[in-house]
Amino acid sequence: MKEVRVCVLRIEGTNCEDEMADAFSTVGAVPEKVHLKQMERNAPSGLARSLEDYDILALPGGFSAGDYVRAGAIFAARIRSLMGPQLKRFVESGKPVLGVCNGFQILVELGLLPAMEGAMSEVPTAALYTNDSGRFECRPTVLRNDDRGKCIFASEIPKGGLVMFPSAHAEGKLMSNDPDFVSKLEDNGQIVFRYVNPDGSKAVYPWNPNGSPSDIAGICNPAGNVMGMMPHPERVMTRFTRPDWTRNPGPEEGDGMMIFRSVMENLK
Amino acid sequence: MVKDLMTRLDKPFELFEVSIRKASDEDLVDISRDMALSLSPDEMKTIREYFQKEGRDPTDIELQSLGQAWSEHCCYKSSKAILKEFVFGIGRDDVLSRGDAGVMVFDDDHGYALRIESHNHPSAVEPYGGAATGIGGILRDVVCMGAQPIALADPLCFGYPDRKGDLPPGTKHPRYLMSGVVSGIRDYGNRVGIPTITGGMFFDERYTGNCLVNVACLGLVKRADLARNCAGGPGEVMVLIGGRTGRDGIHGVNFASRELTETSDEDSRGSVQLGDPITKEPVMHACFEVNAKHLITGMKDLGGGGLSCVVGEMALEAGCGADVNLEKVPLKESGLAPWEIWVSESQERMMCTCKPENLENVLAVFDAWDVLATPVAMTTDTKRTRIFWYGEQIFEMDQSFLTAGPLYHRPYTAPVVSSIENERVPRLPDDRAIILKLLSDPNVASKEWAIRQYDHEVRAATVVHPMVGEMNETGPGDASVLRPVPSSMKGLAAAIGCNPWFTALDPYNGGMSSVDEAWRNVVAVGAMPNALTDCLNFGNPEKPERLGEFREAVRGIGDFAKALNIPIPSGNVSLYNEAPGGASALPTPMMLCCGIIDDISKAVTADFKKPGSRIYVIGKTREELGGSLLYRVFGGRQGAVPAVDVNNVRELTGKVLKAMDGRLISGCHDCSDGGIAVAVAEMCISGQMGAVLDLRKAADMSPRKVLYSESNTRWIAEVSEENAEEFEKIMGGSAHNIGKTGGNSLKLMDSGAIIEVEEMRKAWNDPIWKIMGGQS
Repeated sequence: MKEVRVCVLRIEGTNCEDEMADAFSTVGAVPEKVHLKQMERNAPSGLARSLEDYDILALPGGFSAGDYVRAGAIFAARIRSLMGPQLKRFVESGKPVLGVCNGFQILVELGLLPAMEGAMSEVPTAALYTNDSGRFECRPTVLRNDDRGKCIFASEIPKGGLVMFPSAHAEGKLMSNDPDFVSKLEDNGQIVFRYVNPDGSKAVYPWNPNGSPSDIAGICNPAGNVMGMMPHPERVMTRFTRPDWTRNPGPEEGDGMMIFRSVMENLK
Repeated sequence: MVKDLMTRLDKPFELFEVSIRKASDEDLVDISRDMALSLSPDEMKTIREYFQKEGRDPTDIELQSLGQAWSEHCCYKSSKAILKEFVFGIGRDDVLSRGDAGVMVFDDDHGYALRIESHNHPSAVEPYGGAATGIGGILRDVVCMGAQPIALADPLCFGYPDRKGDLPPGTKHPRYLMSGVVSGIRDYGNRVGIPTITGGMFFDERYTGNCLVNVACLGLVKRADLARNCAGGPGEVMVLIGGRTGRDGIHGVNFASRELTETSDEDSRGSVQLGDPITKEPVMHACFEVNAKHLITGMKDLGGGGLSCVVGEMALEAGCGADVNLEKVPLKESGLAPWEIWVSESQERMMCTCKPENLENVLAVFDAWDVLATPVAMTTDTKRTRIFWYGEQIFEMDQSFLTAGPLYHRPYTAPVVSSIENERVPRLPDDRAIILKLLSDPNVASKEWAIRQYDHEVRAATVVHPMVGEMNETGPGDASVLRPVPSSMKGLAAAIGCNPWFTALDPYNGGMSSVDEAWRNVVAVGAMPNALTDCLNFGNPEKPERLGEFREAVRGIGDFAKALNIPIPSGNVSLYNEAPGGASALPTPMMLCCGIIDDISKAVTADFKKPGSRIYVIGKTREELGGSLLYRVFGGRQGAVPAVDVNNVRELTGKVLKAMDGRLISGCHDCSDGGIAVAVAEMCISGQMGAVLDLRKAADMSPRKVLYSESNTRWIAEVSEENAEEFEKIMGGSAHNIGKTGGNSLKLMDSGAIIEVEEMRKAWNDPIWKIMGGQS
């Protein structure tokens, strides 16, 4: 099998790039942590990179540029001005793009999600709002795979199956001005993950940690190759980072592995 | 008049000459005060003598520099002799460095760094900025060892957050301070992407006037990349990295080295620096890169005293002098006087030294990370520091005179310690009421409100979390454990320990107990304690009784550490923790203990795991209720403060870890505040499981005293029936079976008390949420 090259893109304030790169390594991909500056045309030789050289783009979590404006807004604006057209081509060619936490916020700011019409909307059509609690929430969350077969990051997870990916964010409530937003996502098959209670029933706080409507935790674009989610699959690649592993026996492998294995399977 | 002694020199910039040689003793006092040097009359006289010998008068920048270097904060002038006597030099060959952070061997390829320090006074004035910059500073101490920060830990001490009534003048309400400090830690720690894995919150009226904000950081470094904190020799370039320099944080070290006053808020707000985690984050990456490429010879952070301290210290350690071109320092704003640039404590700055031939490569790395890097000085072979401002010399002093600072053997009085002879046992309600009350005391109650605002999982290495048990229904843990090298099962455990109430009543045993608590927290998760770092928060050392407390506590810490042969490769002293009006904060020896567990899959958490297990108390319970939570809550007085038997610590640690290595213990929790009663109740809460206790055979005293005594070196262990025999064999009489897990309530056979687990959860869970707002 051909080498799968992953661009783990970062700027100042990105801070989950190490574990994101490690997660891709675990499933046999070849990740590279790339600073956005390296995508500039006048980047010093040896450091210069181009998006076309990669098979997967990953936007890790963090507080890019401090998130002092809207979460992800500055990183998104810089990506758009530097390489908007390349990114659009990358997505249109069907290459996978994953955004986790701040990465999800960036994908929404970029217009790559929900992107109901065209690969990349000119302006954002949704936003991730401040959690209902008004606080940063670092806690375990249980997700149900509600993907209807589109999303190339969820194919290894059984339909309707539950996974535990932890959340850690202050702005994770997916909102839009469109009153039919959720039903459109539903109709397009774009809802990938919903927060649920550990028994699979409808989530109540804190199991839905942010108050996201319809308990949406992660969505993909209509083509299924771009996915954004608030919870962190890269933090649970083994069972030992689950907060309850000392009391609940389970397989050594963590739930997060399935996300990364899914995309690798789809690239075969 | 000081004005008459200060002459503005005829220069195109602000520079004064101070006629110190002809100054009277009274003038010296005025100079120190008016220039905010915080130097004592004797120190000023020493300086006068120095310049009389030099045959000239000093410039303002020279005096300011001395004010920085000779502050308690920078040179430990009151504490050093005591530290030397009791805690320095516990040598073990796995200590890799005693630099800005201590570094210990982790495995064949890696070392781990540890350091704790205080940011008390800035946080008392400006809690958000004070705490945030505290995090920034401690991160830099770890980064300058070449180590990637991997965890933060933040023990905090406040007055009661639900305090009613008037506050002492100049004091801010504890709830406001607590909210601001937690937000500051959250916003800095989360933004910079380092998990906050443990900490502690201590509440007492005696912290109302002077809160304590201690911040600790752990790091991981490849042993081949371990950095030095000084230059390699003469002829090297000093490169200033990161943030620009401004007027924020001027005289921060002097502010930290005196008591708070009613007007500290107005006087000293300018001493509080401004933090910027998003400048810090790329600074860290770039520093690691130049260090890993071995382009630099040394690295040090700019903290207290700013440039004035870092230049001198980096040169002096290397036996060099330095020539500084001060005008090269990038500024936030124009118009700063040279002395302000020299002493400013603006944040997010580091200094590195490199050979001139590597300069271009060093600057290229920083440029690639968008990090400002500017050559500002050269090391020389003169052992003197000289400063130039556009070529004109404005400063010249001997390194040794400037940096060494005075050393005091101040007078102290031995503290009167609490005793069992004078004990007054409080009137107590029934056990049910006692336990619910103790669980809801803010010192015991859930800190989830803060813990979940901190990202404790970023970097994906947290394997034992700060809260344990069923997800989102958790209880308190002991130590947190990281798995810092993903390819290895080896783990690094870290826990805080401190008992300021014991320390106030009996400083020697309080110091020892604080170490014991941190130690047993680490053992409780299955790790072998490996190193300590301490932040010693005490009162004004110029008061003999305060210094006596400090000395005794340090002696206790040293006796424990020496007996157990556990190094303290770094540490911090914070004195002058006194409220406006002179009321001293509780003496607070904050200990951080790190431990190593070879196989994290053997780590143990505190939650009860299944019904029908036996419950054991490991270790001896004595009649030691002095300073106990029971006495504090119900009004007991005096009594014996728990002591530590160091041989017992060694023996029991070996036994507990052996049993854990054999996977014989399924739940383990240390006994601290509230004794066996609270420890078992907490294991019920996190395990969502009841227990039946029968304490009649546990010790030779009344079951009540057994329940609430806070004797050291004890753990509660859950052992399944099938492992009991082997467990007891290992323990050899050191563990007493005191009950069984099961049911939905905690039942005490001795008194007949029955408390439902849900009721205990509510009592423990709700208080701080209610005060601070929100819900779990």
